[in-house]
Amino acid sequence: MASANRSLNRYFDINGWFFVAPAALLIGVFMVYPILYSLWMSFQTGKGMMTQFGGLANIRRLFDDPMFMLALYNTMIFFIVQVPVMLTLALFLASLLDNPNLKFRGLIRTAIFLPCVSSLVGYAVLFKSMFVQDGLINSTLLALHITSQPIPWMTDPFWARVLIIIAITWRWTGYNMIFFLAALQNIDKSIYEASRIDGVPSWGRFFYLTVPMLKPVILFTTVTSTIGTLQLFDEVRNIMTSDAGSAAGPSNSALTLSVYIYNLTFKFVPSFGYAATVSYVIVLAVALLAVIQFYALREKD
Amino acid sequence: MNTTFKTSLAALVFSTSSVLAMAAAQAKEITVWCWDPNFNVAIMKEAGAIYSKTHPDIKINVVDFAKADVEAKLQTTLASGVTTSLPDIVLIEDYGAQKYIQSFPGAFASMNDVVDYSKFAPYKVKLATVDGKTYSMPFDSGVTGLYYRKDYLEQAGYKPEDMQNLTWDKYIEIGKKVSEKTGKKMMGLDPNDAGLIRIMMQSAGGWYFNDKGELNITGNEALKAALKTEGKLIASGITKPASGWSNWVSTFTSGDVATVITGVWITGTIKATKDQENKWGVAPIPKLDVKGATDASNLGGSSWYVLASSPEKKEAIDFLNSVYGKDVDFYQKILVNQGAVGSLMEARKGAAYETADKFFGGEKIWQKFADWLSKVPSVNYGVFTNEVDSAVAAQLPALGKGGDVDAALKAIEAQAKSSMQ
Repeated sequence: MASANRSLNRYFDINGWFFVAPAALLIGVFMVYPILYSLWMSFQTGKGMMTQFGGLANIRRLFDDPMFMLALYNTMIFFIVQVPVMLTLALFLASLLDNPNLKFRGLIRTAIFLPCVSSLVGYAVLFKSMFVQDGLINSTLLALHITSQPIPWMTDPFWARVLIIIAITWRWTGYNMIFFLAALQNIDKSIYEASRIDGVPSWGRFFYLTVPMLKPVILFTTVTSTIGTLQLFDEVRNIMTSDAGSAAGPSNSALTLSVYIYNLTFKFVPSFGYAATVSYVIVLAVALLAVIQFYALREKD
Repeated sequence: MNTTFKTSLAALVFSTSSVLAMAAAQAKEITVWCWDPNFNVAIMKEAGAIYSKTHPDIKINVVDFAKADVEAKLQTTLASGVTTSLPDIVLIEDYGAQKYIQSFPGAFASMNDVVDYSKFAPYKVKLATVDGKTYSMPFDSGVTGLYYRKDYLEQAGYKPEDMQNLTWDKYIEIGKKVSEKTGKKMMGLDPNDAGLIRIMMQSAGGWYFNDKGELNITGNEALKAALKTEGKLIASGITKPASGWSNWVSTFTSGDVATVITGVWITGTIKATKDQENKWGVAPIPKLDVKGATDASNLGGSSWYVLASSPEKKEAIDFLNSVYGKDVDFYQKILVNQGAVGSLMEARKGAAYETADKFFGGEKIWQKFADWLSKVPSVNYGVFTNEVDSAVAAQLPALGKGGDVDAALKAIEAQAKSSMQ
């Protein structure tokens, strides 16, 4: 009885509430309220301020909106191609750089990590100037005779997507590598020693020891990268769109869901309700993919 | 955390009260939002200086930030319904005029009681009119011209006379000759930008919408001809692909292309390249091969709008009307200094419009632009120009590879229909 009272007291302790109140209030006003309000908004239709309750009209609109389908398709392409490429690269780099016999280890680690310190807009603008028709990349490729024609990075739908994937891989590989490196430090060296004595080759140690032991970190980086890629905005906005035109890349080939939301809100006739609906598509997609990833990488006991 | 919060709260209270005190002391201040420091910002400051001479109690405060930010901020603030952070006057690009007026009814003040709209280029007035009420002070025009490098064309065997009365087929023919003789491309073209399509379409009196504002795509002869022509242009290999605004500008400032077809507001940029003096000429744009085609069109351009919620609404309208609506001398000044072709028709009788421009080899280019301005076909820009533009831009790369125009029109119509809700 006494213990039950004590635990109840914890809930009614005015001082405790006083301490959490400022944070709770701020979270309530700036996070919970906007989330709930955007849910309410996603049921509104109409232009700008002229809105009315539209029920499921916005959800129906999603299904016959070719631009939304294109944005979803592009986002999924970026996600399916970029996330595995980046994480594999990060994992390999991490295990290479974990080798204590490697010279200039710290320097190389820093060099690979450094891109993710750069500002998203800053590096996107830089990439844009490097990859234009007669920019640094094309003139280098031509001078080295790797290609005979300049690559249409920004004027061909295929290459535009390749460029975005190159850009985000450059930006985020180092970031994910750091997680893998940190996790590698926690693996007991004696396990490797034992396997070496048993005659397991290095590729075997990588696939049968390193990868399984890094599973929780792989899960974590997969989920965060998925979220990041589904929200892809800055790179596309800065590399592929101009203020003059409203297409995101040639044939809208780099239009992502986030850029589409931006267009619906700021470029097109403001359709706040529909934009909110599209943003909930991202929420659902992230939730769904996270569940799948948790399931795929679950601990099998 | 609590102390910092309190301190900042106190600071906030103090700063707000001091702002209020300042506002009370200075009685009337008109705040203006616009975006180009070398163009409309400088012009608005000039206008403010002129008005303050006769109205010393009124101060014009010009706030300069990027165009995309002006639009985003205006749109979100109007949507939030909080009018206190809005300016008194805002600059809006003409393509977006109907979108703002119709999406936010009551947000802008109509000026029909004060302004005599018959004095302006008709197409500028029509684009800001809804139900007989006009909401804008027409400002700069984007009347188009064909800027060409006389030196490159001469090398290819063409004289300035050959650049008059062009058709697009003739233009492509010249372009091929120019590439052959000089190794230069004929024009820089951004395949993500439907600007050239809009120029061609409006030159033949067409737009994405008909007079009633209904979508007009598959049966639109002007649009069809424009798409066909742009496809031909890309396929002929006389264009230099550009990505984005600054890259496109560099195609001609670096001397890589022989011509530029765009709005008159580019004149300042062209003249900024001092080593190209005397090398440029100006001609009317090529004509499309359809009924009603002209050699005059428009790209961009913007107008001033007064917010209906502004406490200084009356003063703001009077300010715009007495400078932009009447002052012919002011228009001469901004033409000379900023290269701005205004849409007040009597302004073109002023002295500056008669002057010969040294940069263009002594040609009276302003007179030419003013003449073309009066010929620009009036169209209905409608509410959804950005949406359809995006649909059109999506089809351009395929057209350049020889895609079917009718299929492209169908795709544009399907996409535009779904985004017009």
